[in-house]
Amino acid sequence: MPRSSRRDVLKIALAGAGAAALPWRANAAGRPIMMLHESSFIKTFDEFFQKTLIPNYKKETGVDVVYEITSVGSLPSRDATVIETGSGADLSMLTLLFPFLYQDKLLDVSDIAEEMGQKQGGWYDVGKEAGMVNGKWKAVPFSNIGQLMNWRTDWFKEVGVTKFPDTWEELYEVGKKLKAKDHPFGFELGHGFGDNHGWLYPLLWSYGGHEVEKDGKTVVIDSDETAKAVDFCRKFFKDTMLDDCLSWTDVSNNKAWMSEQISCTNNAESILWLAKRDFPDIAKVTDQAMNPQGPKGRYHLMNSISHGVFNFSPEKEAAHAFLKWLMDEKQLGAWYASADSYYQPVVKGYNNAPMWDVEPRNKPYRDAMATAHLPGWPAPPDRRLAEAVAKYVVIDMFAKACTGSSTKDVIKTADSQLREIYKSA
Amino acid sequence: MVIRSATLPGVAARPRRPFSLKSWADRGTVFSWLMMGPPVLFIVTFVGYPFFYGIFLSLENRPVAQPGTFVGLANFIKEANDPVFWRVVQNTFVYTGVATVLKMAGGLGLALAMNQQFKLKNVIRALLLLPFIVPTVLSTVAFMWMLDPAFSVVNRVLVIFGMPKPGPSWLGNPVLAMISIILINTWRGLPFYGITLLAGLQTVPAELYEAATIDGAGSWQRFRFVTLPILQPIILIVTLFSVIFTFADFQLVYVLTHGGPQNATALFATYAFDIGMGGGQLGLGAAVALAMLPALALLIVAITLYLRKKDA
Repeated sequence: MPRSSRRDVLKIALAGAGAAALPWRANAAGRPIMMLHESSFIKTFDEFFQKTLIPNYKKETGVDVVYEITSVGSLPSRDATVIETGSGADLSMLTLLFPFLYQDKLLDVSDIAEEMGQKQGGWYDVGKEAGMVNGKWKAVPFSNIGQLMNWRTDWFKEVGVTKFPDTWEELYEVGKKLKAKDHPFGFELGHGFGDNHGWLYPLLWSYGGHEVEKDGKTVVIDSDETAKAVDFCRKFFKDTMLDDCLSWTDVSNNKAWMSEQISCTNNAESILWLAKRDFPDIAKVTDQAMNPQGPKGRYHLMNSISHGVFNFSPEKEAAHAFLKWLMDEKQLGAWYASADSYYQPVVKGYNNAPMWDVEPRNKPYRDAMATAHLPGWPAPPDRRLAEAVAKYVVIDMFAKACTGSSTKDVIKTADSQLREIYKSA
Repeated sequence: MVIRSATLPGVAARPRRPFSLKSWADRGTVFSWLMMGPPVLFIVTFVGYPFFYGIFLSLENRPVAQPGTFVGLANFIKEANDPVFWRVVQNTFVYTGVATVLKMAGGLGLALAMNQQFKLKNVIRALLLLPFIVPTVLSTVAFMWMLDPAFSVVNRVLVIFGMPKPGPSWLGNPVLAMISIILINTWRGLPFYGITLLAGLQTVPAELYEAATIDGAGSWQRFRFVTLPILQPIILIVTLFSVIFTFADFQLVYVLTHGGPQNATALFATYAFDIGMGGGQLGLGAAVALAMLPALALLIVAITLYLRKKDA
């Protein structure tokens, strides 16, 4: 082969690489908007977005939207990849503390959130908690997937209870009787994502306990209030629950419910939803109630879902315009309704919407919004708080007490963990 | 007679051959580099880069979505003060140690049994690979049902044999949870040991056994003095791989217990993932993941040295 041919090979290779790169560049202008969303438990919710909202937007503006669905639990790592590589999506669903973790990479969407608040009945307090970072809205709160009490009306009736107990202590007394009748309670104490935080944070708060003060510095977990909550949790577990709750993840209590193993748990609306679809007999005797109150009040967890636009996206203006359109009452109301009330609005304008009449037993989820907070409240949500949640500090404090460790020891461990986390701010 | 190359006729006079890609590629060094190039490039890109980036990250305070700042060993110091981290260290060593020993003993037994002559030998050998072939996530979900208190086939059997209902809480009790994940890992890893050792067993020449038998060796002695010494290098290599895989296990624990109850089953990989992804602390997560490096590196060096010494 003559020498010059090597140069030819190089030329061809370079030309090939250039050609391969070209279409990618050409796409940057006028490509569809990419939106990331976690797969919904309610099929019609994703379907409505794909089959109605996207075509409508295309009709109105000529802009295409791609709705990329990630599997449950993998959204945070998918979002992190998009953020770290600076490409892959223009806007995304964000859960819990992620608007705060990603604040530097999110576009200010205050205009959308302010307008939404004004036109749609005003935000619940927890809306600001979930979307506002240092005075600016970095994400537009969409909903809570509330965690409430699910209870078996037939078995409660067997021990003479027809209305869900109002306080934790009353619930405990009922649970003792039900466990004796082989109808134990089942509350997640393991390392899931939602059903553990769903009742343990509200329990801690309702006894007056907190991890960190509002200043985001002072660790206050070591208190008499926390001790009372821990003591309650220990006896609540021992006298009312199944042993297995300690290892439960988020699917476990649903499974136990459908196999008629437990008489009370803390879960999202999905239990009733699934029972109605697959186990109608169980659905008939399933009811839902707000969390019981403790000496310091009644609380709920804000299992927040919001939407944010990535500020590094070349299509950020288009994505911003799309989010504004999406959050308009016309679209938003229908999107909520497509999932009945599985996603509870964070604005008050939907409180009397027909979606609440589809299943009146879901109404407590609406009423719980007024007392809902993000995990770690009242400390400001930030990455230290996210670390404490990821390390299951509060969950394991309660769970260890349930396996027999002393209240003093478990609080001491949680306290030292939190101090270590908050030290390196 | 002394032959000097320069005086050989024809050599000096031969004209320089024109460049040919074929002969160039045929040259020993060029050929070996051509063959080595792609894998080296692959390793540098997909193993080397993430590895060194991991080390770099572990020395930074690097929240997700924010630029990192160099903090030296602060992440490692922070971990050393975290009681959960030490729990994770303990868990990982127990998990790896016990599971490896069980897999080694079980795998050897399996290989010895499979080395016998029996009907449907090949079919059964192929079936044995199933636990290894089935995706971990799927087989773990199956175990999740088998250990579930309501549906547990294990507990059902135990209850039939007189244990009071509902039987042990396999995943709810911290000790039982660790035992459960060790057994499931053993179940999954056994075929790897079994099949590899079986391949080794088949290389043992029959004459050696015959000679040993003539010398009066019984079956235990034949195993001890013929089989085991020949299998030893293979056992070491399989153990090396097995320890690495087990040490860095993620899927099994993530699906089955997510590190619970109370971190009783949390391993390096799951804990690092929770901190890095769940908590958005990439630097700290990398530091946790890297903490398993010294132990693994020591093991790899020790086994490699041992094998070299044997070869020499």
